[in-house]
Amino acid sequence: MEFLNSHILSFLTFVPLVAAAVVLATPNLALARWVSMGGAIVAFLASLHLWANFDGKTAGLQFTESYEWIPQFGIKFIMGLDGLSLLLVMLTTILTPLILLSLWNVDEKRQKAFLALFMSLECGMLGSLLAFDMVFFYLFWEAMLIPMYFIIGIWGGKNRVYATTKFIIYTVVGSLFMLVAAIALYILHYQQTGQWSTSLLDLYRTQPLYETQLWLFAAFALAFAIKVPMFPFHTWLPDAHTEAPTAGSVILAGVLLKLGTYGFLRFAIPLFPQAVATFAPFLMTLGVIGIIYGALTAWMQKDAKKMVAYSSVSHLGFVVIGCLALVGGGAAISTEALTGAVYQMINHGVSTGALFFLVGVIYERRHTRMLADFGGIAKVMPWFATMLIIATLSSVGLPGTGGFVGEFLILLGTFQSSPLAGALASLGVLLGAIYMLTLCRKILFGPLDKDENKVLKDLSPREFAYLVPLAVLAIVMGVFPNYFLDKSRASIEHLAKNYRNYRIVAVSGDLVPEVKRTAAVQKDGP
Amino acid sequence: MNFSFPTLTREFYLAALPVLILCFGSIVAMLQAVFKSVGGVGSITVVMLGSLVAALAASIFLMPGVETFYLEGAYLAGALSQFGQISILVISIVVCLLFRETFLSKAFYRGEIAALFMMVVAGMLVMVSSEDLITLFVGLELSSIGLYALVGYLHPTRRSQEGAIKYFVLGSFAAALLLFGFGLLYAATGSMRMSTIVEALPKLADHHWVRLGIVFSLAGLGFKLALAPFHLWAPDTYEAAPTGITAFMATTVKVMILIVTMRLFASGLAPVYDAWATGLTFLAMVSMILGNIMAMVQSSLKRMLAYSSIAHSGYMAIAVCALGGQAGAFPVAAIMYYLIAYSVITLGAFAILMWLESEGNDNLLLDDLAGLAKTHPWASFGMTVLMFSFAGMPPTAGFMGKFFVFNAALSSQLYGLVLIGVIGSSISLFYYLRVIVKMYMSEPVKVAAPLSPLRSPIITGVIVVALALTILLGTVLPGPVMKSMGKASSEVATGHH
Repeated sequence: MEFLNSHILSFLTFVPLVAAAVVLATPNLALARWVSMGGAIVAFLASLHLWANFDGKTAGLQFTESYEWIPQFGIKFIMGLDGLSLLLVMLTTILTPLILLSLWNVDEKRQKAFLALFMSLECGMLGSLLAFDMVFFYLFWEAMLIPMYFIIGIWGGKNRVYATTKFIIYTVVGSLFMLVAAIALYILHYQQTGQWSTSLLDLYRTQPLYETQLWLFAAFALAFAIKVPMFPFHTWLPDAHTEAPTAGSVILAGVLLKLGTYGFLRFAIPLFPQAVATFAPFLMTLGVIGIIYGALTAWMQKDAKKMVAYSSVSHLGFVVIGCLALVGGGAAISTEALTGAVYQMINHGVSTGALFFLVGVIYERRHTRMLADFGGIAKVMPWFATMLIIATLSSVGLPGTGGFVGEFLILLGTFQSSPLAGALASLGVLLGAIYMLTLCRKILFGPLDKDENKVLKDLSPREFAYLVPLAVLAIVMGVFPNYFLDKSRASIEHLAKNYRNYRIVAVSGDLVPEVKRTAAVQKDGP
Repeated sequence: MNFSFPTLTREFYLAALPVLILCFGSIVAMLQAVFKSVGGVGSITVVMLGSLVAALAASIFLMPGVETFYLEGAYLAGALSQFGQISILVISIVVCLLFRETFLSKAFYRGEIAALFMMVVAGMLVMVSSEDLITLFVGLELSSIGLYALVGYLHPTRRSQEGAIKYFVLGSFAAALLLFGFGLLYAATGSMRMSTIVEALPKLADHHWVRLGIVFSLAGLGFKLALAPFHLWAPDTYEAAPTGITAFMATTVKVMILIVTMRLFASGLAPVYDAWATGLTFLAMVSMILGNIMAMVQSSLKRMLAYSSIAHSGYMAIAVCALGGQAGAFPVAAIMYYLIAYSVITLGAFAILMWLESEGNDNLLLDDLAGLAKTHPWASFGMTVLMFSFAGMPPTAGFMGKFFVFNAALSSQLYGLVLIGVIGSSISLFYYLRVIVKMYMSEPVKVAAPLSPLRSPIITGVIVVALALTILLGTVLPGPVMKSMGKASSEVATGHH
């Protein structure tokens, strides 16, 4: 137990991978389902343990672990958890078992492989959120693409090969630039300190020249902007979402996209603060364009899934402007906006995850997602209608749902930073309400005139089981935001106030004595 | 000029034992070709594998691990030579084993082929362990002439003979260029030894003969390394040669020429860094762009891998260029790591092709792989891992290779080359993914008739080992491997100064 306690982050990360390996070895699908569900639940319990023991009063890294990997290059396997990643880790471990539950009735020939890929995807996501070493972050970040590539490419819709190739090439192009920038930063760190290290805690101390920062920030920002995706790099997203199977869409919208905004918070902003001040207006503009363009495009869609996909472009635009709302002449990021951005990442994961699930529910029954094929479904599927309305309201940010808290905080901060951006983004909120309510109206209300729709069955107990937690979360997050934000507040404020000179120290785990030992400068290396 | 005939000491014989063993083995094999009663597949196998394994053992245990010159530099032992010899011998043994289970087994285990094969390997060993340009050239010719013959003669078809002729004509031309380049360097500096050349160079840096010598040497080595625009032979020859020979060429020739290139340019021609680095930068850039773009449109897998190998030569050339900058000796270690990674992945990929091939279908097309995941899930899984590794995705050997190369290049501030490298890698992902798409996301069009895995334990074993190494080199091995490269890399950077 002691061992488990001190290695809880590695345990959390690799349990899904072990489950994936076991799934491949299981003789039949029924067992494979239980194994993957078991892995996901163990990971969830581990993350609950983290939640319970996480100290929200400090911005430091907790539960840290550190092992030598390539000592002569200073590459270590470092894991740690702070308030910025905690909520996303929880979101990942909650969504995964729900998605597995949604797959319970799927009985395809290659379903075992699907489950194995899905579990290794969870490992990649958790690893990217917990790694505090540049090389390992990159490793998880890239490794995560491979399962997603196959999930879309093998189990996707008609255009799956095109969509999945586009998805992986877009992402890898961005990542390669990030890799080069990361290596450049690593070399700079060596030149400044005489010590090779890829530890993020050390790299934060590097101070590149302003001109260098511009290039490095641009490379990192490109990688993350593609992942988010920000306008104009968003074109892979609607394709990927439309072609992906429901489970793939849920995890893509729920967690994968957030890794882009998380990347901004964890890497691009604190590593290159001077460049942030230069790029912020530009990125804010792209964010605002994304909000409005995404909303308008979503409004025009005839396919429910595409509509939800474009709504993601719009919603992630809010998160981006929240991350970059500088105040005080660039001295700090608006704490309100940043808090909203972190909160909105989780909200979007919950509400959009639920929306993709719901679209999946009707697609499974009718094999169509066209809005025109539905109408009046509330009469035959009242529970489905309830869930869809809760998810929609949370998505449009109705007071009482999590979406309201997030968007309100972001807009509050943005108005302080740039009133124009705030005003335009508020327009996005309005548009969001229009298209999401349109979606609801076209599917749920109006005359029930299609014969196929008259015999639709309402949610099954299993479907209930995976939708109710999300609906409850959407409301609880709206009513008790502080319960969640208290865990993250210290980290968020620390980043917001000190982003120009960001340092982070470990407060518990392996890394604590490590810091004291760094005085002994390591001279050998490449 | 002082000339004394060098003495052949006992130490020299020990250090050169790998080469001597192979020469002896090759004579025995030639005799076996004449006296048919001892020339069966079994006895040829014993002689060939025996000689290769004995040479490997000699190279590991008897060769000095510190830089030692014999015969006025004609033979050079040391960590880098040892690395080259061991890599070449291990690859040769693997290729020999692979041939046992293909339809070419009888053809390969013939006296004359065995003799040629061992001669080729002996030539390569000479080349990686010489400091004297003449010995180096003799080693190159010894290996090349044998390779021309192996391409066309092992399995004589119209196509393979055409490939052999192309390789021969262009290869001889390149050898002539290289020799001419060496001649000019000799004319300018008065020496064929790299360590003497390097001393004479600073006074002659702007000498026309030196510059011309560099240009011609670059062209000759660039040809052998298949760097664009000297790459035109590669796709034809790779496609024409029996797959086992293609795998052999694609790996050993790269090891041999890169070691020579590092020695010649980074040690011997260090004072004229600007001159050769400009040329090599150009070759590297063109190779990465052209190789990757051409690979996208190939339908034959062997041709695709040929173009991909051109691009990989380009990536390695980046690290060679980095050798003159602030990166110190690190690029040497990076190249050696890349060579190991690249050889492992390439052998694995070709082993899978050999597993799928049959006599009537020995030039697999991309379309032949359609739906392979349904019929041969494990072979497709292996191919997928190798393709991702070629593309440089973590956690595989290919990723660490790229990481080290980019690291070396950025330390020497070669931003332009890195940018082209990144663009090239992005393009490369497309065609490596095409293979995966065919296997997993297409319906079977035509199913190849492979050997059953139970009947081919060696090929299966090679594939499994290659896959395991691909993953291990990307996860737990980089630390230890890079550590063991330290000594060899310091030889290039400091050996002759």
